[in-house]
Amino acid sequence: MATLAPPEQKAPPQHVRRKGVTERQRPLWLLTPGGLLMTVVIVLPLILAVWISLIDLDQYTLRRWVEAPFIGLGNYVESFSSGLLNSIWISVSFAVLSTLATVPIGIAAALVTQNKYRGRGLVRAAFLIPYVLPSFVVASVWRTMLQPDGIVNAWLSKVGVDGGLWLSGPRSYWTLILVEIWAAWPFIYLMALAALQSVDHEVHEASAVDGATWWPKLTRVILPYLRGPVLLACLLATLNHINNFTLPFVLFGAPAPDDVNVMPMIVYVTSFQSLRFGLSAAMAVLSLVLIAIPLFVYLRAVRLDVHEEGGRK
Amino acid sequence: MNRKSFVALAAVTALALGTAACGGDDEGGGSGGAGKTLNVLIGANTQYPDEFAAWQKDISTKFKAATGAEVKFETFASANDELTKIQTSVVSGSGPDVYAVGTTFTPTAYSTGAFVKMGDDEWGKIGGKEKFNPATLGISGPDEQNQVGIPWVSRPFVMAYNTDLLKAAGIDKPATTWDELTAQAKQLTKGDQYGLAVAYKDNFDPWKFVWGMSTQAGNPLVDGKTAKLQDPAVQKAYQTYFGWLANDKVVDPAAIGWTNPQALAAFAKGKTGYFLLTTTTASNSLEQGAVKGKWKFALLPTVPPGATSRPANGVEAASILSGDNLLVADYSKNKDLAFEYVKLVTDSDAQLDYYKKFGNLPANAAALQSLASDAQLEPVTEAAKKSVATPFTGAWADIQLALTNVAVQTLPELTKGPLNTAQLDSRIADAQKAAQTSLDRAK
Repeated sequence: MATLAPPEQKAPPQHVRRKGVTERQRPLWLLTPGGLLMTVVIVLPLILAVWISLIDLDQYTLRRWVEAPFIGLGNYVESFSSGLLNSIWISVSFAVLSTLATVPIGIAAALVTQNKYRGRGLVRAAFLIPYVLPSFVVASVWRTMLQPDGIVNAWLSKVGVDGGLWLSGPRSYWTLILVEIWAAWPFIYLMALAALQSVDHEVHEASAVDGATWWPKLTRVILPYLRGPVLLACLLATLNHINNFTLPFVLFGAPAPDDVNVMPMIVYVTSFQSLRFGLSAAMAVLSLVLIAIPLFVYLRAVRLDVHEEGGRK
Repeated sequence: MNRKSFVALAAVTALALGTAACGGDDEGGGSGGAGKTLNVLIGANTQYPDEFAAWQKDISTKFKAATGAEVKFETFASANDELTKIQTSVVSGSGPDVYAVGTTFTPTAYSTGAFVKMGDDEWGKIGGKEKFNPATLGISGPDEQNQVGIPWVSRPFVMAYNTDLLKAAGIDKPATTWDELTAQAKQLTKGDQYGLAVAYKDNFDPWKFVWGMSTQAGNPLVDGKTAKLQDPAVQKAYQTYFGWLANDKVVDPAAIGWTNPQALAAFAKGKTGYFLLTTTTASNSLEQGAVKGKWKFALLPTVPPGATSRPANGVEAASILSGDNLLVADYSKNKDLAFEYVKLVTDSDAQLDYYKKFGNLPANAAALQSLASDAQLEPVTEAAKKSVATPFTGAWADIQLALTNVAVQTLPELTKGPLNTAQLDSRIADAQKAAQTSLDRAK
């Protein structure tokens, strides 16, 4: 059982270090309920998903799914010929662009609400509105506004611009990014604000004593403090963008225009409209792998291991 | 692990298993009558939620009086919810006893093999096969010996037209061929007034036009195990359907973003000649709009585009066979009660009552006949009789998806003027490939 693994695995390379008293007598068995829960909620479904991705499960074999033919990597091979690569490209580019655009907005918003002034609480609350609105509501409202005869095109025509189609064709890709930015920037803002708040008062005082003006102070003193939290926020936000199903589904419907056929959409259509459960499981597993790569790289880079750090202190 | 911790682990495991077991048994009672519960899965009615709740209560009372058993209704909000429920029930072998499913979903449900095939005995239990409008049985199964779907309600598609606008344009009766419809639409289009309201962005409408026109031209899209999407009849259907907006300009350009309810709302404003593809459930909305008292239903054209009469192999398909079927689950332990329920809701009185509350036409032949005297409804009852079933294959969901996808991808080009037929043909070729792949998998 993973949770009951001996602590040696976690120990740093230098085996000479003696384990402390508390480490030896840790009541690890107390982790059992959590471990069981994780097994039931995460590990078993994951194993099941991998298994389903290896069998030819569809509407015809669903009833006796245990007997569905095993086809090895067949579903994975078919995934690539079913447009998954294109979907991966759309998903990743959309997620990265959305993240890149939200970072400056989020940081600027955090800076604006850092110092005290009258009505700051109100501004902070207002900034969170896009974040607390359910994705479904955001998408429905934008879909209504972006209709060919909707309010956006009506405004644009007042200034002499032909708005055109927002929800079909190549422009739908930029619509998706635009709406995602609108809904997602407060997350970066929250993380940046939290980081700003944790900058020691002395830092501000010291830079004031040194006579730093606002720009050098911002770029050389404050922003370096934000680097860690904002990077983490970028990672989480990118993963969120990649996994966002509600937004494209409500904005464009299924089947989606080719330009916004993101990974969650193709998995959904394969699973719930074509009823190819095996194939869609293979697609989902591939997406998981894809998402795991940046996560792994990041976790390796930051080494979020507080125990090790605690041990060194 | 020492002994103490092992005991603790065992205790926790037992506790966890015990909790899981508690949630396991959701079956009703054993067999027959009092003390039992029949579970029915049915689509939520978002248009008339209060009336729907009242209807459920009423049926429960009647069912209890007749059998002594309770009916428990479980509703689903979307086709997706329904599918998930069917999946989990099929896999686990437990769940609702009776399902109400859309007609076009019946082939998919049939392909899971999880529903009772209706033999003479079963039909007898619900009052005989002959009590239904024969057309409604068209999508109950692949053939007469293998039927699972019991017709419950019909929602045949018709078109609505604005009597004032047609009269003003000198048109004395609604079109009966697609070419005539296009010509009339051109006559009706002037200023801010348009000939047709079409829901181009709807995810369910476009394929119905294509299937209908193509079937009328003699190609029902599927021939045994062969998909026939790459066919002149299908091309002509798409060209006509897209042409209204791209070439003939008889549709409001905003229609490119309309779903069916939006097209209905546009027609209700009284500035459009025809609203293609609607059902009786739209009546209330129309009566509340500017077209109040100025609209009528009419049969959709049944002569394919480019023709003045139907070819010899063409079918007079006025509408897809649309509505809901009832399916009894094979795993059900309450099959007799399930058939009692089906009998109750398909009897003439219950069917008429349901029609009055929700505007769904009866599948019961006698009940349907009793509505024929209503002049406003006459075209709709006729459409119910002239409804034709879409091909009965487990691949139909995919074919429908492929046909819709052609429309979705073509939309952005419609505003740019004349339709690019070469591009359209390449999309139809893609759809053909997807449809054939799915048919090859069909069992």
